[in-house]
Amino acid sequence: MSVKYTPVQWNLNKWGYDAVMLVGVVAFLWLFLFVSPELLSHEFPINPQVHNARAFGACAFVMLTVILCIGPLARIDERFLPLLYNRRHFGVMTTFVAITHASYILNWYFAFSKSDKFSALLFANTSYTQLAGFPFEAFGIFALICLAVLAATSHDFWMKFLTPPVWKRLHSLIYFAYAAVVAHVSLGILQDQQNHVFTVIFIGGALAVAGLHAYAAWLDWRGGDEVGAQSNGWIEICSPEDIKNGFAKIKLLPNGERVAVFNQEGKLSAISNACAHQNGPLGEGRVIDCLVTCPWHGFQYDVTDGRSPAPFTEKVPTYNLRLTDGVIQVDPKANPPGTYVEPVPIPGWQEVPA
Amino acid sequence: MDQAELILLFAKIWGGVGALVALAFLSFGIDRLDEDAKGAYVFRPLIVPGVLLIWPLVLWRWYILADGKDDWAKRYKPKRNSHNLFALIMPVLIIGIIAAGLSVRQTWPVNLAPVQLTEPGQ
Repeated sequence: MSVKYTPVQWNLNKWGYDAVMLVGVVAFLWLFLFVSPELLSHEFPINPQVHNARAFGACAFVMLTVILCIGPLARIDERFLPLLYNRRHFGVMTTFVAITHASYILNWYFAFSKSDKFSALLFANTSYTQLAGFPFEAFGIFALICLAVLAATSHDFWMKFLTPPVWKRLHSLIYFAYAAVVAHVSLGILQDQQNHVFTVIFIGGALAVAGLHAYAAWLDWRGGDEVGAQSNGWIEICSPEDIKNGFAKIKLLPNGERVAVFNQEGKLSAISNACAHQNGPLGEGRVIDCLVTCPWHGFQYDVTDGRSPAPFTEKVPTYNLRLTDGVIQVDPKANPPGTYVEPVPIPGWQEVPA
Repeated sequence: MDQAELILLFAKIWGGVGALVALAFLSFGIDRLDEDAKGAYVFRPLIVPGVLLIWPLVLWRWYILADGKDDWAKRYKPKRNSHNLFALIMPVLIIGIIAAGLSVRQTWPVNLAPVQLTEPGQ
């Protein structure tokens, strides 16, 4: 959560997450560089630059694959949510590994050209009209630019400055970057790969990303949030008994926004389902002492006024709500973020023992 | 000047303009737009690479926020449908690309012995 921006907001969980990630990167490089270099077609004598370039390239691909699996896995099974928590650090680390890969390539294959090495990279192969021998470097350059944009705009400042929807759209570049990396590998090293362990890792990883995204999208389409029915300008949510104590019901409003209606000890409150940080699904969080915790990154809000507890300053919109003939109804016009709304008591409410 | 040099010149100009925008934005613009940035200076160098890369977007948001045209409601409308669109297009693209890559893969005798064409150092 932000009060004043700092370079990195460390906490124990982030230290742990980053430590595991670093150990994983070092273990991968150690394995591919020293234990089993033949996995990257190193059975013929090659120089250390190419050796390192392949190991760092393979590492960047695997890291990117893991990153792209985390999102759909967390949507399919909430036990994967902790992996989502610090995914941005994972992304920044991946960018550095990818830059290292590009540096080894640039400083070996293009460093001895008479022209500038960057120019040489761009004009060394211009067979853009054929698939066999296509300049696969172009895909790598595109993916690296995308990763650089994502890493450079990963600080919380950017999310607030650009707004979460714009930031999310910008960071959708990750999908294009991944497709470009798949093309970079398919038309590059895969053409010459003789040891097929990496081929299996590559195709298996790419298909895992493809399959998990398709499956998560299908689940979302099949069981996504419903649009609430309209009743005299208000939107019907559900019966109060349908919301367990401490939890919420999420409904889609006609204007495309999502509202989360919480039951907090027999009192109903409605706030935007979109967290102010990254638009995480607040309605999937649990309320404890009036505060709901976003399942994505742990941001907290008071469900009665949509404000984060002091000293934090995040706010989300609230909604007016009422009980009519035993049905919860929400006014679809959101109140400005941070507006207090008196909770609506559920008549005769008694907590159902678990 | 060839096309490669033109692309590199464009990249240099893009970065140069980005540097000027970063200088102005991080010196005085950011303080007027974001209360969390007031008095916070240590994080600002981390923002520089982002401004260099996406400075047109920075100028657009700077204009929107400075002019009071920011619509707070838009912050809370995540574009989930477009995300699902990407999630469906990407698998098709991945399978197509891998199939294309494998289809043009050349095969030759795997036991072909390497032949040294010249003596080392020549």
